[in-house]
Amino acid sequence: MPCKAHHAGNALLAAVVAASLFAMTAPAGAEEDIWPTLKQANFGDRAIQSEDGKVVLDAPVTALDASIVPLTVRVPPEVKDKLKSLTLIIDKNPTPVVAKIEFGPAAGTGGERSVSTRVRIDTFSHVRAILETEDGSLHMTTKFVQAAGGCAAMNAKDPDTENVDLGKMLVKTYPPALSTAPLFEAQVMLKHPNSNGMQLDIDTGGYIPARFVKEMTVKRGNDLVFRMETTFSISTNPNFRFTYGRGGDNELDVSMVDTDGTVFTAKSQPSGS
Amino acid sequence: MCNNRGSVVTRKDFLRASLALAAVPLLRHVPAYAAAPSSDSVELSEIAPGVFVHQGRVEMQSPENEGDMANAGFVVGSESVAVIDTLGSAVVGERLRNAVRAVTNKPIRYVINTHMHPDHVFGNVVFKEDAPAFVANHKLARGLGSRADRYLAMSKSMLGDKAFQGIEVVLPTVAVDDKMSLDLGGRTLLLETQKTAHTDNDLIITDSATNTLFLGDLLFSVHVPTLDGSILGWLAVIDTLKKRNAARVVPGHGPHAMELPEAFEPEQRYLATIVTDVRKLIKEGKTLEDATKTAGFEERDAWKLFDHYHVRNVTAAFAELEWA
Repeated sequence: MPCKAHHAGNALLAAVVAASLFAMTAPAGAEEDIWPTLKQANFGDRAIQSEDGKVVLDAPVTALDASIVPLTVRVPPEVKDKLKSLTLIIDKNPTPVVAKIEFGPAAGTGGERSVSTRVRIDTFSHVRAILETEDGSLHMTTKFVQAAGGCAAMNAKDPDTENVDLGKMLVKTYPPALSTAPLFEAQVMLKHPNSNGMQLDIDTGGYIPARFVKEMTVKRGNDLVFRMETTFSISTNPNFRFTYGRGGDNELDVSMVDTDGTVFTAKSQPSGS
Repeated sequence: MCNNRGSVVTRKDFLRASLALAAVPLLRHVPAYAAAPSSDSVELSEIAPGVFVHQGRVEMQSPENEGDMANAGFVVGSESVAVIDTLGSAVVGERLRNAVRAVTNKPIRYVINTHMHPDHVFGNVVFKEDAPAFVANHKLARGLGSRADRYLAMSKSMLGDKAFQGIEVVLPTVAVDDKMSLDLGGRTLLLETQKTAHTDNDLIITDSATNTLFLGDLLFSVHVPTLDGSILGWLAVIDTLKKRNAARVVPGHGPHAMELPEAFEPEQRYLATIVTDVRKLIKEGKTLEDATKTAGFEERDAWKLFDHYHVRNVTAAFAELEWA
């Protein structure tokens, strides 16, 4: 498979290199377990509680379109802890760490907290969400997703329109149904090809250069909701939905930076009441 | 030409039968040459004088069907032959070539692909010995070239080693930028590229002598449509193509021949239903996941292979429509 090694140029690099070795040499089967290596690269010797109910991952068992697989991570309402970080990993992707979120004071508590996005899945793989709560403990949930794909599956359907409106960002906020509920919800969408560098350019015989969003910051006023590092495993036109804590003014400021160093910013447009 | 026999038509038989059957209905069907895997030819219908169509099975590709799951055809002029799509493997492509050879010895000067999907192009390789021009939409080379590795890997795993044998990706040697005419002697084929619809490299072909229109996968019948381009683009193309006055159209999947405008109605309804449902969900602030569980499911009983493709169609439609 013509997967090049990539350099995210950020803290994920160690994990990229460690896992690329596996992605390049291992057969496509689901059998071999690269999680111990990934775990060591990302969490060292720290203990991780598996399936202890603190975190839930919604993912399709079979993803018919491997280039846009919806994932939702939920923290059930009975979990009261403040959240410190969340790491999303697709074991078999060329860059297994999809996203790493560090939550801020405006992330909110009291109710079901969630983060959703859409990802590219290269081959049948375990998908993991590892939640770090305020006390520093780690909690993991895992799903196996059957996604037939391959690096080249991530092509735009129509490359001629891929960069139209690049940089256009929409931020929508959704107040809770109950006006006293403590969590708001928001959606952030960015027009961006999030090129992974694995798409063959038929005209040159080379690859279309990688260009993807590597960082996203969400603020409610001066308070941080979260900061997230991302990789090209996020689908074209990156799309995120998440909950955040109610404040005085509940509008959001979002900024994203891509690997070219371009910064994209937007403020939320109040939706409804 | 309407003889019903258990073996392949030879040229002599074919001519004899032609003479015997001077008056036959428009949609003549040459039934069932035994389609056993050992057979060396595909089943054919002559849907109009000199216009032959093979109907593929409405199935996912499998070792058993050997990649014979799309329609393919050929048009015979007084000087040469044009093949339109080549089926999904070298094995069945060879049987299509044998079927052409059973009908005519005229040179196969053109092999036209209606779009890039493997079930329509993976038989191209067997026509290389005829040294034809391989003709397609100018965007096909990019689309197929950049997906080639994945298409080959998928076909290998789904067809199995035996039916996969001999498959090569053969890219076009002649690119159609907008329109092009091909003279077959006594009849011409008009090739017209379309805006992004089923894929970004769709091409339609009209035979001047019989006003037969080959639509490729812009028209699905029975087989659920599969979206790999733009749902809004596809609906716009349908609006235009429905108004054509073709004597008959050939779908990429479904019967040998159909009539306009009715042929498009189920497909148009299917795609429009998805657009309506997905737009409503987006407006209500619902997610892609919600859409994959509800949008368009009222169409489920109307199509074969719905469970294989529908969720994928909705996913693609959602990603398109949330920005449209």
